[in-house]
Amino acid sequence: MSQHKSINQLQNGETATIVGYLSDEIPIKIYEMGLLPGVTLTKKQQLPFNGPVYLRIQDNPNAIALRKSEADLILIESIL
Amino acid sequence: MTEIEIALVGNPNVGKSTVFNRLTGLRQKVGNYPGITVEKKTGSFTHQQTRYHVIDLPGAYGIHPSSLDEEIVYDVLVDQTNPNHPELVVVIGDPFNIKRAVFLYQQIREMGLPAIFVVNMMDEAERSGTSIDVSKLENVLSTKVVLTDARSGKGIDQLKDALAFKPNGYAPSFVIPEEFTAATQYVREHTGQRNEYIAWLYLSQKQNKHLNNNQVEEITTARQTHGLNYHRLQIREALARHASLENQLTGVIKDPAKKKQYATERADHVLTHPVWGYVIFFALLLLIFQAIYTWSGPFMDAIDNAFAWLASSAGEWLPAGPINGLITDGIIAGIGGIVIFIPQIAILFIFISLMEESGYMSRVVYLMDRWLRPFGLSGKSAVPLMSGAACAIPAVMSARTIENDKERLITILVTPFMTCSARLPIYIVIIGLVIPPEKILGLDLQGLVLFGMYALGIVAALGSAWVLKQLMKSKYKSYLILELPTYKYPVVRNVLLNVWDKTKGFVWGAGKIILAISIILWVLGSFGVDERFMNAEDVVRSEKPGISETDFENEVQSQKLEYSFLGTMGRFIEPVIEPLGYDWKMGIGLISSFAAREVFVSTMATVYSLGGTDDELTIRERMAAEINPNTGKPAYNFASGISLLLFYAFAMQCMSTIAIVRKETNSWKWTFIQLAFMTGFAYIAALGAYQLLK
Repeated sequence: MSQHKSINQLQNGETATIVGYLSDEIPIKIYEMGLLPGVTLTKKQQLPFNGPVYLRIQDNPNAIALRKSEADLILIESIL
Repeated sequence: MTEIEIALVGNPNVGKSTVFNRLTGLRQKVGNYPGITVEKKTGSFTHQQTRYHVIDLPGAYGIHPSSLDEEIVYDVLVDQTNPNHPELVVVIGDPFNIKRAVFLYQQIREMGLPAIFVVNMMDEAERSGTSIDVSKLENVLSTKVVLTDARSGKGIDQLKDALAFKPNGYAPSFVIPEEFTAATQYVREHTGQRNEYIAWLYLSQKQNKHLNNNQVEEITTARQTHGLNYHRLQIREALARHASLENQLTGVIKDPAKKKQYATERADHVLTHPVWGYVIFFALLLLIFQAIYTWSGPFMDAIDNAFAWLASSAGEWLPAGPINGLITDGIIAGIGGIVIFIPQIAILFIFISLMEESGYMSRVVYLMDRWLRPFGLSGKSAVPLMSGAACAIPAVMSARTIENDKERLITILVTPFMTCSARLPIYIVIIGLVIPPEKILGLDLQGLVLFGMYALGIVAALGSAWVLKQLMKSKYKSYLILELPTYKYPVVRNVLLNVWDKTKGFVWGAGKIILAISIILWVLGSFGVDERFMNAEDVVRSEKPGISETDFENEVQSQKLEYSFLGTMGRFIEPVIEPLGYDWKMGIGLISSFAAREVFVSTMATVYSLGGTDDELTIRERMAAEINPNTGKPAYNFASGISLLLFYAFAMQCMSTIAIVRKETNSWKWTFIQLAFMTGFAYIAALGAYQLLK
């Protein structure tokens, strides 16, 4: 597998697909909330001073917020 | 009539509580689960000759809990001997996240529990063009599926009919992988559990509180011999279920609308904006506090007048004497002192409830997380800290949604520093006595001092959080994975029910303590065994011959109080509080304040009326006229007043909070550390202030 970016490296407004995770030790809640491989998401914004990121999951009206440390764990592939 | 116990289970933000309120109406009550304070909502209703007892379980994403309130769901559902174990589970989901709800549904069915499935918020789905193939979904789930819109009440009757449905013939969708069957087999043999999926859950749960030590040991043995890690098992299950759900649910949801520019997204563009988001949040906080102080004014005046009238008519009707003082100054004034805060508490809870119902509260968590993290707190701590401005008890309970143990503990430990409404009557009376009613730069000085007291509470909470963060170690990584639901118009009924529950709880809790304390104080103040109490008249006559008749009466009364049980207690602690600028009478006020700080004013009223014969003065006039016998100065002068304000700002003086902290932390150690730290800090601050200012 080539070097993948993490959610943190997305620009605001950029869309990507989840391809995997950086480690096994990630909170079960990430899976339960549906942040699973194959899911397409868009980073909408991020709060200042490395604050949490605001994500939209495709076809879901609810948004999801993650801290930078969690966003680092989720690997993605950009959709051009 | 048959009776059936049902449980509502569902993901957060699917309108589960609205469904519950629709089903049970006002026939519901809020209690606690045994041993823990997670709020338990139960209610009942009758439909077609069947009595349904409903329990509303906390929202959860799956059967593997990440926070304390989610643990309840597993504990209640897995343990057949649990008093809340249901005969039928109603799983509630929303149309946009059906997969997540089915995930939870399958886990519950595979635990061997019969369940039906509800898709709520159908109106929102229809507006965005989403529809659901019910018969297909019923096939996939092997149960009855009901579509509802609890906000408008649509589908609730169909849901009631569906409760009679007997689901059967369920085929598990998660097959335990072969590499683990030896371990589950071992667990089944050694714990007596017949269900294989529950055996798997025993292995994959961090805790199995309902099992005995022997069974827990067997599970640990199974994990060790097979080299299993519970967290990995959870992930294994989650991935397997999601993979099969993808196929199972194809075609169930018809989602033709692709042009989804949701109103929520546009609103969040502003409301969670890196700059405007904060501006709006702080403007809202300002509005809330403005509302608490101005809107409540007329109501508070009316309540004040009503209680003043009640006290004066009771005072005239009852014969003069100590019983009169007990009833008018102690009980009526004390209860009035609580009732008067109902408008403020209700207004605060209306706002908090509106913020929760509308979905804005999740945005507050999102906005505050970055700023609270340096203090060892999480964005989720913002909710307890804000509620702490009303009352620490519901605030401490609301900390249960914080997943990380350390962040949750710190939040619980520092929330009582926030200026709760019980501190307000003391602040107002003392500020009125010792701060001159002047204007500084056009601002009311007394108002500024009151604002300063609130600021002091926040500084103390964050400062001690920072200290605790340095001292404590955490085993678990802290994280924030937060769902930001769509904005919704709040359901008035839900808001009112919530405000009613919270306000009633506060008034009942505090009212009972005030009544009890007033009576105990009166008894302790009216009896004594000391020689100078028993023969007060003779002692005064012999020590002060030639005293006038009225002075004689006063002298006897005050000597009796001084040597009563109560006076003895006050004099006993006097050496400790004298350096803070207090006399023994104020010492009695401090002692009784350890039950609840709001009783200070009514205690002082009881004490001063026991010690005097003059019933004309109001409590405030009496306090202003009181002379501290140690210093010869007014008891409430600038130095002792500031010292009292600081003491009440920091000291842990609320039995109910101590009890709730003990329950929530499940630790006497932390409860005592909190009590000692807050009270010790209060003592040092009050001592320093008095010694500098006197």
